[in-house]
Amino acid sequence: MIVSFNYRPRSSLIERLDPRARWIFSILVLFAITMFWDVRFLLFFLALTLGQYLLARLTWRETRRAWYFVFFIMTTMVVVNTLITSSGTIGAVLRGTHTVFFHQFTMPVTGWSWEINLTVERLWFAVTQVVRILSISALFLVIPFTMDPRQYGATFRGMGIPDRLAYTLDLAFRFVPTLGRDFQVTLDAQRARGYEVEKVEGGLLTQIRKMAPLVVPVTMNAILSGEDYANAMDLRCFGLHKRTWIERLAYHWPDYLWIGFGALLLLGSIALSLLGYGKFWVPQILLQ
Amino acid sequence: MDKPENAWLEVEGLTFRYHTRQEPAIQDLSFDLQPGEVMLLAGASGCGKTTLMRCINGLIPKIYRGNLEGQVRVFGKRVNEMSMAELSQSVGTLLQDPERQIVGSYVLNEVAFGLENLGLPRGEILEKVDRTLEYLGISYLRDREVFNISGGEKQKIALAGILVMEPRILLLDEPLASLDPASSHEALQLFRRLADDGISVLLVEHRVDEVLAIQPERVLYLEQGKQVYFGDAQGLLDVVDYRRVKLPARAVLRRARDAEPPPELQPALPPRSAQPLIDFQGVSFRYRPELPDVLHEVNFQVHPGDVIAVLGANGAGKTTLVKHALGLLKPTRGQVLLEGKDTRKLTVAQAAHTLGYVFQSPTQMLYAPTVEEELAFGPRNLSHPPEQIRKDVRWAIQTVHLEPELKSPPLALSFGQQKRVSIAAVLAMRSRILMMDEPTAGQDYWNYRSFMDAILQMPGFEAILFITHDVDLAVIYANRILLVSNGRVAADGPPPEVLRDDERLRACRVLPTSLLELNLELLPQTGRFLRAEALAEYAG
Repeated sequence: MIVSFNYRPRSSLIERLDPRARWIFSILVLFAITMFWDVRFLLFFLALTLGQYLLARLTWRETRRAWYFVFFIMTTMVVVNTLITSSGTIGAVLRGTHTVFFHQFTMPVTGWSWEINLTVERLWFAVTQVVRILSISALFLVIPFTMDPRQYGATFRGMGIPDRLAYTLDLAFRFVPTLGRDFQVTLDAQRARGYEVEKVEGGLLTQIRKMAPLVVPVTMNAILSGEDYANAMDLRCFGLHKRTWIERLAYHWPDYLWIGFGALLLLGSIALSLLGYGKFWVPQILLQ
Repeated sequence: MDKPENAWLEVEGLTFRYHTRQEPAIQDLSFDLQPGEVMLLAGASGCGKTTLMRCINGLIPKIYRGNLEGQVRVFGKRVNEMSMAELSQSVGTLLQDPERQIVGSYVLNEVAFGLENLGLPRGEILEKVDRTLEYLGISYLRDREVFNISGGEKQKIALAGILVMEPRILLLDEPLASLDPASSHEALQLFRRLADDGISVLLVEHRVDEVLAIQPERVLYLEQGKQVYFGDAQGLLDVVDYRRVKLPARAVLRRARDAEPPPELQPALPPRSAQPLIDFQGVSFRYRPELPDVLHEVNFQVHPGDVIAVLGANGAGKTTLVKHALGLLKPTRGQVLLEGKDTRKLTVAQAAHTLGYVFQSPTQMLYAPTVEEELAFGPRNLSHPPEQIRKDVRWAIQTVHLEPELKSPPLALSFGQQKRVSIAAVLAMRSRILMMDEPTAGQDYWNYRSFMDAILQMPGFEAILFITHDVDLAVIYANRILLVSNGRVAADGPPPEVLRDDERLRACRVLPTSLLELNLELLPQTGRFLRAEALAEYAG
């Protein structure tokens, strides 16, 4: 069974907008955000996206699990990329000169050495990255909780994506919560066989191997049910003709306004960035 | 035979072998389907039913490749020369699991899916959808989310999505598999009505007993891909082995008179005793604080010696109830004691030492590269000594008759075999209490009877509990029935007592079967419930 995200109508301002307008706005703002590494600009976007989040009348309780997921990914990215390996995006060129912590590790036997050089610049870069990720997450997290699942396909179609791909995207979108549900079922089934995910330990490879009882059934189940869904869709002529979409969408003036606002933000950001604003910035006070 | 020139579907000398296999899946099948008839296609699992359906609905050869000989004609045209669009408006297919063919998130969108794909005008689609929903008596579901409706309703929605395309031939692949008795009765009545209204229905089902109630015009019986019988329903009762296919109890009785009486089932469980193994004390449960209770004040105990069958409608709360025993769910109010210990204070892994629980769907738990390793997974988690694990794995695999597959990857087995592996995987844990959720789903009659016999006669279990929609399974094996309805225990007692109350059973969407009726009739002579063959010596 394909399950949908936990959508319920909540008569918010955001929901009154056409879903296409909301997607287009979100994509425009996403591009705008990616122009900046200056935390002052990014804080503006964080305020903007959190504003949208509040307008959508979402509560912490409903979105808690999604946020935990975001925090998990974000922490991993920031710690591994920015602080430890210093690879990834501009972290690679960013070294900084104001050292806070320095330590050189040497692997026994192999003699590989590996140094950690935490500078003020790199720490501030991590802070900047957190603000960036949070703004983007708040921007897109709103969508699954406040968009009627019936309209997914028609929305993608309405944005110019071909019929077949639009419906496939619709399914792909709903695949996320479906996978979550399947994972829970498998976890329960294996726990009933004495499996304890909490006790999975050992090196990275051992840990991955010990996750097999969860990962294999969930993956296999997705593949096998995928075959059934594909058959069921083929038997109902999916992808043979130009498709009719019974869900209809219509733009109204607030939608144009919303898209216009997004476009303005992006154009403004492009202009600022051409003028040389928005590059990575560290507060002077930290460098003294 | 009837006039084949009028037949809507003609199959002649059909043989098909999948490219990936050595043996043909079906061999030399020939039959025809007449306008407005119900044809039952029966056979054990692996008999080629699904392959035959794929040859008729065009998935073979369009999706599945292989060697096809012979011919399939629909309304005089060869299937492999028809386009999918043309074919789908002549032949509609309801796949086995409605959950795996519903793609829409809401009822209206799901039913409209096929017509949307055909590119019909929106107004026409909506009109046809409404007409179909009305025909099936489910207009009230139109704007509901598919996720929140019952199993029987889901199947009707899936069927509506096919009927809306106005096919004249309907293929139904084991449509009763996931339904409670009352829903499957309603579904069968509906199939009869469709046929009476002019649609030809080809119904694949191994629950022959139940299908015969709607008087299928003809029956095609397959064994290992070969056509064993094609003719009227009465003839089938004389031809097939009643130990392989479940026939109406009276027909079995008639035929078993001349046969050897079956060996008597001797359950190896200890005598009943008073100290409860599991104790539900005023258990209420809800999934989330904002949702309503799904269990209400449930009180019951499992004692040593109990063989409990849990019966009830789809969505009555049977699985939710059983998950509490193992601590997979914890009560919102009240408590569950497993051997005197509150499940809130036990981890699931600790509880698994005492209680083995077989989940409904095997594909959601099988993972290992070989069946042997799959079976060793549970006992290893419980830190059993290696020598004992080896012994228990061997014993478990024998119980489910899969010794030859010990080195095979479980994921390459058929669904029925996978289900048996999942049961063996829990048997190998040697728990003292065994709980099974729909153990016979997807199994053919002979297989499930033989492993149920074996499990009950194996020493080591102190109590067994199984959830089922198969009333006969309860009649044959249980010494206690728990009837669950809307999250409450509606009745709890010995089978003759609980199953006698026809009105209460129907209120819980459980229907008496021919075997139950016969047993109740002969109870004064037998003193207990028996399987149909064993009743032969008591019937006059």
